[in-house]
Amino acid sequence: MTADAFIFWFLSLVAVMSGLSVVMMANPIYSALSLAMTMVSLAALFATMGAYFIAGVQVIVYAGAVMVLFVIVLMLFDLREETKAFTRGQISGAIKLAMVGFLAGLVVFVLTQGVKLMAAPDVVDAAKLPEDSSKALGLILFNRHVFGFEALGVLLLVVAVGTVALARSKGGTHAKQ
Amino acid sequence: MGQDIFEITINAVKLIVIFLLMVQAVPILAWVERRGSAFIQNRLGPNRVGPLGLMQLLADAVKFLNKEDFLPRKAVRMLFYTAPVYALIPGVIAYCAIPLGTPLQIEAFEMAGKMWGPYTFAMQGYEIGVGIVFILGVSSLAAYTILMAGWGSGNKYSLMGALRASAQIISYELALGLSIVGVIMLYGTFNLTDMVLAQQGPMTFGFMGNQVVVPWLPNWGLFYQPLGFILFFAATFAESIRLPFDLAEGEAELVAGFHTEYGGFKMLMFFIGEYAHMMIAAGLVTTFFFGGYLVPGFTPAEIREFVAQNIASTPNGASAVTSVIHLLAYFVKFAFFLWFFIHVRWTLPRFRYDQLMDLGWKTMLPWALFNTILTAVVIYVAHNFA
Amino acid sequence: MPSSEIVNQIGLSHYLVLSAVLFMMGFLGVLLRRNVLVMMMCIELMLNAVNLAFIAFSKFSGRIDGQIMVFFVMTIAAAEAAVGLAIIVSIFKRFREVNIRFFEHLKG
Repeated sequence: MTADAFIFWFLSLVAVMSGLSVVMMANPIYSALSLAMTMVSLAALFATMGAYFIAGVQVIVYAGAVMVLFVIVLMLFDLREETKAFTRGQISGAIKLAMVGFLAGLVVFVLTQGVKLMAAPDVVDAAKLPEDSSKALGLILFNRHVFGFEALGVLLLVVAVGTVALARSKGGTHAKQ
Repeated sequence: MGQDIFEITINAVKLIVIFLLMVQAVPILAWVERRGSAFIQNRLGPNRVGPLGLMQLLADAVKFLNKEDFLPRKAVRMLFYTAPVYALIPGVIAYCAIPLGTPLQIEAFEMAGKMWGPYTFAMQGYEIGVGIVFILGVSSLAAYTILMAGWGSGNKYSLMGALRASAQIISYELALGLSIVGVIMLYGTFNLTDMVLAQQGPMTFGFMGNQVVVPWLPNWGLFYQPLGFILFFAATFAESIRLPFDLAEGEAELVAGFHTEYGGFKMLMFFIGEYAHMMIAAGLVTTFFFGGYLVPGFTPAEIREFVAQNIASTPNGASAVTSVIHLLAYFVKFAFFLWFFIHVRWTLPRFRYDQLMDLGWKTMLPWALFNTILTAVVIYVAHNFA
Repeated sequence: MPSSEIVNQIGLSHYLVLSAVLFMMGFLGVLLRRNVLVMMMCIELMLNAVNLAFIAFSKFSGRIDGQIMVFFVMTIAAAEAAVGLAIIVSIFKRFREVNIRFFEHLKG
């Protein structure tokens, strides 16, 4: 097995195992920590695919800030035990599992056997992706997608204001009594 | 990573050496802290064990190793045991990406009947193209050790300390990242080695078509980004939860914060983690603002010329001696900033938590944004009006 | 190992299958779990799976627009997580309950 293939299989194993832990663990804090592990392994996969800046941003934003926020909120809630972690009703749960499994099987079948996704064989065309991906990313982001970028800025401002407004609800630290 | 066995072995050895150096630097730093704080406070500090008290930390380590390994009744076992181990990991991974010296170049040589090609070993654990993004990302993972320790202890005070500390860390990450944007714009690259190499020689810059050379100042980032330096340095104090930002582990309020329930070697691991973050901070400050491993006023090429003529004549020897000289230059600056961290800890009083958060969000963030805009305007003016 | 080429030659299908598996796991989590916060985390897992698919397409077609899309998805997911968490915290302050079965009926 070549080194690249080994890295891919190892990272995908880690990602799938931690993804499974997110869903299956009863304690929600373990779910959150497993999700952080999934995100870090996905960032490593991005780095193997040459998207270095995106990998860095994934670790900084997702694993380093969003998941920390999730864990902080979970710890603030201080839930005693997760007595009923999964949905009630064995039959409906089993039906849901079967349906999702069937859908997953369909998708994987289509991906591997059915559709030819690229005209050329799906081997990486290394010459096409620019060497310095951060610079190319920046250029395209600010030239072609500048409207989306500015819209994102407005969205983040709205979200920040809205979140602070929500935090001032009854019982909050800054609420008017 | 090379393909040869030789190169892979040397790279693995390099990673292990950097890890061990970081861990071994902690007793020395702790000795400096205890003696330095003692002198600041007009007392003597540890001076009995070994010459000048240098063996004190060794005695402390032995003492800690012999302590009882306990688990509080309400603690969550998995998190309680994982948190101190995880304390080291982000620090060491981030530190390996900082360049410590010029690359060591070895000519092709023959060994065991085979030609081993010319090698270049960078004086860092691994060279990352998006260096600063990687370091920021990995050091932001340090929030998890605090959360795991705080929650896993099963103690309300630990939890409160952990929540405060992690909120402080994620708040100051923003100020940290934004204060660096000015430096990134200035050097046009994320790569730390390129940033260091752009700071060589005397101060030179192009301004409105003229080339300005100031021969008595080194070309350090400090002179181009003074506000960025102040903001970055202050933010790294908050990131490593050092005084004056250490309310999260303030002794008077929260016993010991998130590591209240830890004793023995587990607590020592947290301190090693804190010193590791201090070392990252000192390393990054020297890399961005003080020329990294460069000797002020000389370029690496000049130093290599000097070494090749006067000290070592073979190319391998010249490269090795140049690397050692640059390593020493790096360590001098590094040691100065570590001493500065320790000095500030015993000089300034502690911030209250709301003052701390206000400082991070309401003062540092706007100033960092202002610095970014100012840098952008100055760069634009300097390059486009000839 | 059925064929050495599937194992050694990592192509686009490999990444897409991985992305599909992660997406289905997140989907399953949203259906099966009762804790509102864990459901939000499974939504984040689905978004990450989609990011992986975008980057894989970007790499194998040589265009960088996949990475731009990931940039946008990541930002919006972070913003959505923040708002979602704020809403959940408000709900918890009011009802002291994060079990989604409690909120099934539109009352009060």
